[in-house]
Amino acid sequence: MPLDPVLLLLDATAQALTLLLVASGLAVTFGLVGVINLAHGELLMAGAYTVLALDRAGLGFWAGFALAPLFVGLLGLLLDLLVVRRLRERPLDTLLATWAAALVIRQTVVALFGPASHTIQPPLEGSVLVLGAPYPAYRLLVMALAVLVTLLLTWLLLATRVGLMIRGTVADRTLAAASGLAVHRLEAAAFAFGAALAGLAGAATAPLLSIDPQMGLGYLLPAFLAVLVAPAGGPAGTAVGAALVGGGESLVSAFASPVVAQLAVLGGAVVLLRRVAGRRAGRER
Amino acid sequence: MSREPLLPALLFWLGLALLPLWAPGWLLGQLAQHLGYGLLAMSLAYLWGQGGLLSFCQALFFGAGAYAYALAGLGRLPLLPDSPALGLLLAVAVPTALAALAGLLLVTARVPTGPAWAVLTLVLGVIGERLAVASPFLGGSNGLAGLPPLALPLPGGPLELVDPLPSFLALLLVAAAVQLALARKIAAPSGSLLRAVREDPLRAAHLGIDPVAVRLRAFMLAAAVAGLGGGLFAAQFGFVAPPLLGLGLSTEVLVWVAVGGRGSPLAALVGALLVKTAEGLLGEWLGAGWPLALGLLLLLVVLLFPRGVFGGLLARLARPARR
Repeated sequence: MPLDPVLLLLDATAQALTLLLVASGLAVTFGLVGVINLAHGELLMAGAYTVLALDRAGLGFWAGFALAPLFVGLLGLLLDLLVVRRLRERPLDTLLATWAAALVIRQTVVALFGPASHTIQPPLEGSVLVLGAPYPAYRLLVMALAVLVTLLLTWLLLATRVGLMIRGTVADRTLAAASGLAVHRLEAAAFAFGAALAGLAGAATAPLLSIDPQMGLGYLLPAFLAVLVAPAGGPAGTAVGAALVGGGESLVSAFASPVVAQLAVLGGAVVLLRRVAGRRAGRER
Repeated sequence: MSREPLLPALLFWLGLALLPLWAPGWLLGQLAQHLGYGLLAMSLAYLWGQGGLLSFCQALFFGAGAYAYALAGLGRLPLLPDSPALGLLLAVAVPTALAALAGLLLVTARVPTGPAWAVLTLVLGVIGERLAVASPFLGGSNGLAGLPPLALPLPGGPLELVDPLPSFLALLLVAAAVQLALARKIAAPSGSLLRAVREDPLRAAHLGIDPVAVRLRAFMLAAAVAGLGGGLFAAQFGFVAPPLLGLGLSTEVLVWVAVGGRGSPLAALVGALLVKTAEGLLGEWLGAGWPLALGLLLLLVVLLFPRGVFGGLLARLARPARR
């Protein structure tokens, strides 16, 4: 198969932007609340299954798309209240508990929907010519959504009062609390918002991939790598990380088998992560 | 907990050694396999409880040990004879070498031991599982079957560890030896160094301790113990496949160790035995609900018993001894 450079680049961009959409929720919970949420992939899966359930009930794709962020946001709020908040002082236990929560969500989905994989039709059929190459319209829509979410997040953080309060909490939690900010409520809201973004990402990507109970981990690790290798905090840093991880994997997989591509990206990310982590550790000292 | 109380450990091993007097053969065979898992649990308890290094890929080293045993036992390694005894040696050596490699990546980069470390171990686990599935040399997703059992060179001719009773006794001896050795290690000055690095690496460094070397040694020791468990498990099971090194088993170990108690290898081993036995009893009845129960169990233990069910008990026993 001859490789069309335009198509190659489009695929890489699509993968990077899809990853950005997936990682943006993670960037909120990790970057702002400081919680490594290993159940993020499963929250995303819950979003995809919400779309699937409503699609099957005959309500169509867009009903599920609208409801998924709400439902998963509530799920996130519950997770924060029952689990994450109680372990605020024990970060390693937060990892463990969210990993357990991931297992619980995954197995609940298996119990409700069975272990098999499902597919749903994209709501937009057909393709659009981009630089002379035909590209599926729905993929372009998801890419646009990723850009929109990133811009919205940037605006929320940098230009609104809530964003200022959250940035204050991130910078100095004690001082923020002493200044009269309800840090618990802010953190719960941010966590739920991150979960809602996971639900949105799950709903948006549901027609692109097969929906199955194991899909969460496939999203979680690249998204985490993207957030961790991000050279800076905030939505812009996440975008760079997603471009490196998602774009890299897409480009390598055009020339090698998918397994090799995944391995190459994982290896590359570990090397990058060493540098970023080393630099962060150096800055703390 | 800094010291493992000796008396409960000795009583536990004595009680276990008396089990063959009344327990049926199938139970002994099952317990022998669970003791292999118990070695894995002890390795994670040492790394996580003592070293503060929470690993989401500890099964990788267990599986590497199992595969090393399988490859040597089947004579698939070039230049090496097919020998189960050599396989057991490699089951310790290969995971230790792997841990040295992975450790160079993780530990020497001074990756903070929090989130980044945990995600890196997850990534390592995924890399290992995918490599095993994709590699024809390792049998792909089918794994390798027909492994020869271990044989003890006895005066009256070699005794193959096939029957439940000799397997159980052999595993019991190895597990007890490893547990007592780990307890000694924890109580020794090097154990204090590891805890010092866990509590405050920067302060430890200022006191002249090299945190990188201390963590790397702990990582390699844990891998060696896990690999030994994997090799012995493979020798009894006669079959290795990618799930032995996958994230599923790595998660299961976390449950055993969290339930038993991360601070003490003995508590972790008891956790492994109990959870695996419960799985044998309830697994069939609960069916697909078992992983769900496992997840809920982990969640509850982390929230309510952060030291584990037996860890707290053992710590209480250890306190008067320290005075």
